[in-house]
Amino acid sequence: MSALQLGLLYGGATLAALFSGIPIAFALGGVATIFMFAFMPGGALDTVAQNVFEELASITLLTIPLFILKGAAIGKSRAGKDLYDALHTWLGRVPGGLGVAVVLACGLFAAMAGSSPATCSAIGSSGIPEMRKRGYSPGFAAGLVAAGGTLGILLPPSIVLILYAVASQQSLGRLFLAGLGPGVLLVVLFALFAVFQWGREHAKAVKVAAAGGVRSPILADEHFTMGQRLAALPRVLPFLVLLTGVMVALYGGIATPSETAGLGAIMALALIAVVYGAFRLSDLKPIFIGTLGESGMLLMIIGMSLLYSYVMSYLHISQSAAQAIVALHLSKWLLLTSILLMVVVLGFFLPPVSIILMTAPIILPPLTAAGFDLVWFGVVMAVVMEMGLIHPPVGLNIFVINRIAPDIGLGQVIMGTIPFVVLMGIGVVILSLVPGIAMWLPDAVYGVAK
Amino acid sequence: MSAHAELDLSAPSTAGGLVGVAQAALDGLNNLFALLSALAIAAAGLILTWEVIGRYLLAIPSDWQDESAVFLLVGATFLSAAWTQRRRGHVGIDALGLLLPRWLDQVRRVLADLASAVFCGFFAWKSWQMLVETWEEGQTTPSALGAPLWIPYLCMTIGMVLLAVQLLLQVAGARR
Repeated sequence: MSALQLGLLYGGATLAALFSGIPIAFALGGVATIFMFAFMPGGALDTVAQNVFEELASITLLTIPLFILKGAAIGKSRAGKDLYDALHTWLGRVPGGLGVAVVLACGLFAAMAGSSPATCSAIGSSGIPEMRKRGYSPGFAAGLVAAGGTLGILLPPSIVLILYAVASQQSLGRLFLAGLGPGVLLVVLFALFAVFQWGREHAKAVKVAAAGGVRSPILADEHFTMGQRLAALPRVLPFLVLLTGVMVALYGGIATPSETAGLGAIMALALIAVVYGAFRLSDLKPIFIGTLGESGMLLMIIGMSLLYSYVMSYLHISQSAAQAIVALHLSKWLLLTSILLMVVVLGFFLPPVSIILMTAPIILPPLTAAGFDLVWFGVVMAVVMEMGLIHPPVGLNIFVINRIAPDIGLGQVIMGTIPFVVLMGIGVVILSLVPGIAMWLPDAVYGVAK
Repeated sequence: MSAHAELDLSAPSTAGGLVGVAQAALDGLNNLFALLSALAIAAAGLILTWEVIGRYLLAIPSDWQDESAVFLLVGATFLSAAWTQRRRGHVGIDALGLLLPRWLDQVRRVLADLASAVFCGFFAWKSWQMLVETWEEGQTTPSALGAPLWIPYLCMTIGMVLLAVQLLLQVAGARR
């Protein structure tokens, strides 16, 4: 059987298994096992368990549960609300200041927690009601939080970038730093849109009020005294110290990424114990339940995805597919566009972790051959996968919002997220035109890669 | 990828009859291993924190920390797998659920669970073989620490057996 036929068979079997509703981890593991049985030498099957263990036993991959624990600790505390409350008092005079505060809070929170759903629910559960109370339209409020939450997979310690580092054999430190610039770019784009949209809704409210209609709360002027602003700081500062402390430890060469993950998790638990008095069993239980559920699911998918790509490469499917793509001699940007479109399509039904591990062996060699920097591509791919988190039909963040604000219709949430999907698309274009936005920081810290 | 499981981690109610009794017994085991897994993750965090402190403040060389953290975290992943499955925490694509008629979708779900159980059972068997092999030959990790390799395979075997049993119970409980 030719590699092409085998590849089509492998792909077809994978699609069938995934859409049958078998959990992603077992579907990928099962397909890999069946193909080992059918097409690999007799002894191969005996190594299934060994393979998964050896692939998983990587200290880089195993930072994931610890980063999830850190995110859960901060996410289940009141830190999210305190964070944007404080930002709001400081941004009170900016038009649409509350919306901008929510975007910034999402960015900062994402940088601490590294998880999109955690960011969405931590900032959204109080941020969305707050924005609606102040007259923001439900769709706008929901879209802002859903989009802000996606920053979690771009800003360090992004789980997606950790996996990409393993799959592409690029430096995790460089990838984390490369995610910062684009993260800031998206925060700026989102914040500008928040100001713009607030202006539109404000103007509409002015018209309604002038015509003698209901006076929307969006028209109310809010002022915070300097005293209020300073009073908001003490609760936020410890978390900003945690954020910067972890960064310094990692980039100052004091701690390895895995140590940073451990240190971050323990420090986050210690912080919420000190700041919020959350040290009782009843406080810790939800944190650990959340961590176990998410990290168990993710690592199982990761382990099985690694088995899946091992089989794919043993059977030369990935190499042949990569060669076939190279042989097409697409122009550089056409190649990039088609690969990113494929990532978007996969994002309709697969979580980012599986997309990376399943496609990396196929798409990375052609991209390297075309002269793309793989660190830069990893960040661009992360932005594209962020779009998958908020675009219909299955954006994960849309469902998180739907859960924390059940009275906003799913349709309204989706309408609210669409402008942000467009903004991310613009972000990808900007990153392609000015790759330096991603690359200047890692190049400055680590030196330009050869 | 519709309803995502990490969003809802409360245990569903138990069916009655024999399946209910078996599930109650398994729930006891699941909760025990979930607790152990949570402790393992916390321990891994503490060990890695100690690695930094030990190296910088006390100048103790770090040789065993990374490997023990790996063992703890691999153990936590597998030992809590059945607990996660009980909450339907291993996510799958449920798109067909929107297209198929109700009865056919019910059949699809049962078959999907059954297929998962077969895979997990097979994986458990292969883990068991590795457990026996690493135990009998006294295999260790290639590092300076040379930690015994049967430890992670023991966790994998227990975890995958429980996972297969959990899936079978969900298959048995699906019949109405």
